[in-house]
Amino acid sequence: MSARGDQQPQAMGLARPRTGSMHMELDGQTGHQAHTARRGGWLGEDHLSFFTPSYLRQSRHVQRLHRAYDEHVAEVQEHARLNPPKPQSLSASSSNVNLHKMHAAHVHQQRPVVQDILERHPPLSEEVDRSHPLPTRWSEEDKMVGLEIQGEGTEVRFGGVTKTSDEAASIRVDHPMPKECGIYYFEVTILSRGKDGLVGVGFSTRKAALNRLPGWETESWAYHGDDGYCFAAQASGKAYGPRFSSNDVIGCGVNFRTGEAFFTRNGVYLGVAFSGIKSEKARYYPSVGMKKPGEHLRINLGRTPFVFDINHMMKQERQTTLANIAKADVSTLHPPDDESTLIHKLISQYLAHEGYVDTAKAFAKDVHDQEQSLSDEPQPFSPPDSDDDIHAVNRQKIRRSILDGDIDRALKYTSSYYPHVLEEERNRDVYFRLRCRKFIEMMRRHTDLVTATSSPATVTKSVDSLASNGHARTDHNRTEEDEEEDEEDGQDTQMELDDQLHREASRPLEVPSDDIDMDASQELPLKASFMKKDDLLSSALEYGRELQVEFGSDPRQQVKKELQDLFAIIAYPNPAESPIGALLDERGRGRIAEEVNGAILVSLGKPSSAALEKLCAQTEAMLDEAAAKAGGAAALVNVRDDFLRP
Amino acid sequence: MSRTPSTATPTWHHFERKLEDVKPSKTDINYLVMDYLVTNGYPAAAQKFAVEANIQLTTDLQAIQERVDIRTAIHSGDIQVAVEKINELNPQILDEDPSLHFALLRLQLVELIRVCMDTPGSDITSALDFATSQLAPRAPTNPQFLSDLERTLALLIFPSDKLDPALASLLDPSLRKEIATRVNQAILQNQGARKEARLRNLVKLRAFAEKKARDTKKDIPDTLDIGLVGDSNNTSNSNDLATNVSDILMSNNSDNDHTVS
Repeated sequence: MSARGDQQPQAMGLARPRTGSMHMELDGQTGHQAHTARRGGWLGEDHLSFFTPSYLRQSRHVQRLHRAYDEHVAEVQEHARLNPPKPQSLSASSSNVNLHKMHAAHVHQQRPVVQDILERHPPLSEEVDRSHPLPTRWSEEDKMVGLEIQGEGTEVRFGGVTKTSDEAASIRVDHPMPKECGIYYFEVTILSRGKDGLVGVGFSTRKAALNRLPGWETESWAYHGDDGYCFAAQASGKAYGPRFSSNDVIGCGVNFRTGEAFFTRNGVYLGVAFSGIKSEKARYYPSVGMKKPGEHLRINLGRTPFVFDINHMMKQERQTTLANIAKADVSTLHPPDDESTLIHKLISQYLAHEGYVDTAKAFAKDVHDQEQSLSDEPQPFSPPDSDDDIHAVNRQKIRRSILDGDIDRALKYTSSYYPHVLEEERNRDVYFRLRCRKFIEMMRRHTDLVTATSSPATVTKSVDSLASNGHARTDHNRTEEDEEEDEEDGQDTQMELDDQLHREASRPLEVPSDDIDMDASQELPLKASFMKKDDLLSSALEYGRELQVEFGSDPRQQVKKELQDLFAIIAYPNPAESPIGALLDERGRGRIAEEVNGAILVSLGKPSSAALEKLCAQTEAMLDEAAAKAGGAAALVNVRDDFLRP
Repeated sequence: MSRTPSTATPTWHHFERKLEDVKPSKTDINYLVMDYLVTNGYPAAAQKFAVEANIQLTTDLQAIQERVDIRTAIHSGDIQVAVEKINELNPQILDEDPSLHFALLRLQLVELIRVCMDTPGSDITSALDFATSQLAPRAPTNPQFLSDLERTLALLIFPSDKLDPALASLLDPSLRKEIATRVNQAILQNQGARKEARLRNLVKLRAFAEKKARDTKKDIPDTLDIGLVGDSNNTSNSNDLATNVSDILMSNNSDNDHTVS
């Protein structure tokens, strides 16, 4: 008993929740210092790459965790790049916990430092912790003395001895099961069960003591191998499933919607074991306990495929949820509108808001025709109020220009239709990004030519995009007079401008008509495009310098960083495949087009997003709130994948 | 739904920030709109939208038009025409869905009876013949069919100005609308498409999400305007909308009574 008395406080002490201060401290460490921090506690937090359990692929929560992880990795890499490690850090860079614990110093692996840091650092930060990460491995702290962790944190082996009949050694994993997953499932393989051994598989909160099997302690639930009973926080259990022993795979799942837990044995579902599992406040950790020396278990938290077809169960659960959603009452959303009236209003408003003028009219007509077919009294069609049309048309032109990659045209339109919008202080960033986009477009055209020269098939396309788009050469010549003229001459100039720009717009940049195509390929052999290419580069450089002069003095770090990234494009022979390749993505056009559109809308006294967008965002945000609080059905829905995607 | 004025809740800001974070992409919204136009049959709008929003139309317009023609036929009571058109598309659609087929035949009977009722003293023989030859043989296969048939024939017995509401509802245009919607879904499903537009699901999800979020007693604004006020095409209303929305969103005051009408 004395041994037990000694052990308990220790175990309990280790079982305390990991404190924020420790993590902050660790996070504060710069990359090259990381190797010096060799305290027991956080070695247990060693993390391998992010993994998504198969049944959680559609989970919004897990997708978000993944994004956060990727961002973190990028940060750490950036940090490592900026702070090259001191040479000696390599010598101490083994991150293999077990090797370290076994004092096998001679097996130090020479690992790249970045990888080393990555594996230690990511999920440690406070922020990520609050975001309820997935369990990844056995906890080094939250375990009974005598338990030894092996196999990269997946295996646990009991090497100690137990004194009394009810004494045991239990362990929990590093993070609680996030209820945002809806259902959480894991499997434990019994690698070896000791003679007359006893293994329990289940889950518990941090309140459950670790010197007894889960199931017997307060706030713990488990399925025991010796009798096949399941125990819900008390010493007497109920008959549940078959006994289990060496080589059996025991699965355990918690459904946070129903508050039920179930087990599986070797892929066979054994039915609901517990119900009434409250998920509002408590945090449950997968846990196992064992009694005899040599007992040895391996946990699968989803890094490898499961024996039980949990994917199917998850699919059914999602279908149940979707069926419930289909029954939702929409009449309270925008009374007195019924569903289709509401949808039609949402669509009309979106089309008008975005400046899809022709579509808006066609839709109004289609809807009118549909209603007419049901009605005995014919009503003439009256097109929607067109007061807004002029603005919608203007905005549509500006958007089209940006989407075509013709930033100059967009700037001209904007400055003539809405002369002051881009000058407003609040739109300074929009203006900045629009100007930056022009640089990107120049570099894109340049890159196109470079690639074109190496693959003749695309020459004509690139040459044409240059030829039909004189801006490449005249970009920096867009003189102040031009702009003044635009503003002074008012309506006439505007029509002229429209006319002139319309002609340009009507000639697609990327899809040359056949004859242009032929002409271009005949008249401009490869050599010529080399020349153009250099012209293009030098005008891009010149424009880059203009940008630097205009925005370089902006004190904000963000602006500096954006300019820096921008100019880095020049450094890569093939920027599209460089680390900053995303900058050149055509989708960037869409984003800036929306920002400009939004800025104009706000200047016209309208909300920057349409009701339909708002409705989407509200839905997502409310599902998040509900899922974070109670898990359940709200956790299983993925707005993007289930409702927005084909 | 209780819409009491809010007390100051700092978490609103949290929620509002979140709204910005989870804003959907325009690509997603455009897809949503296009999907609705195609699924629910608005071919002219779909065509324009493909051009204006630069979206590839994955369905050919002819296929949408065929569904629209069938819908129009049903809406105008030309059930015979509709059935023929459906069978031209694919006879399996009705063969494999007896319940839908019966619903169409029943609607056809309603239309025949409507003609009799509208022209006093007219012959009801054709309606009865139709009921005997087309509906009666199918009625025994399903108790619901039988009761539907009986209810429909009751229209012939009661004077048209003294129908009880349940019977009168058979003559309401909403029955045509409902059947047309079912037919549209059946055709889509038969063609391997999703039978319901994503946008319909999303609107329901919006209602569902609000209920779930309020059930958890999370601090979300008491009034969640979806941003539609009156006729969305109206300029002056749009301006109201801007103020209204920003009032609701920005204000922490309890004396704010902007509710959506």
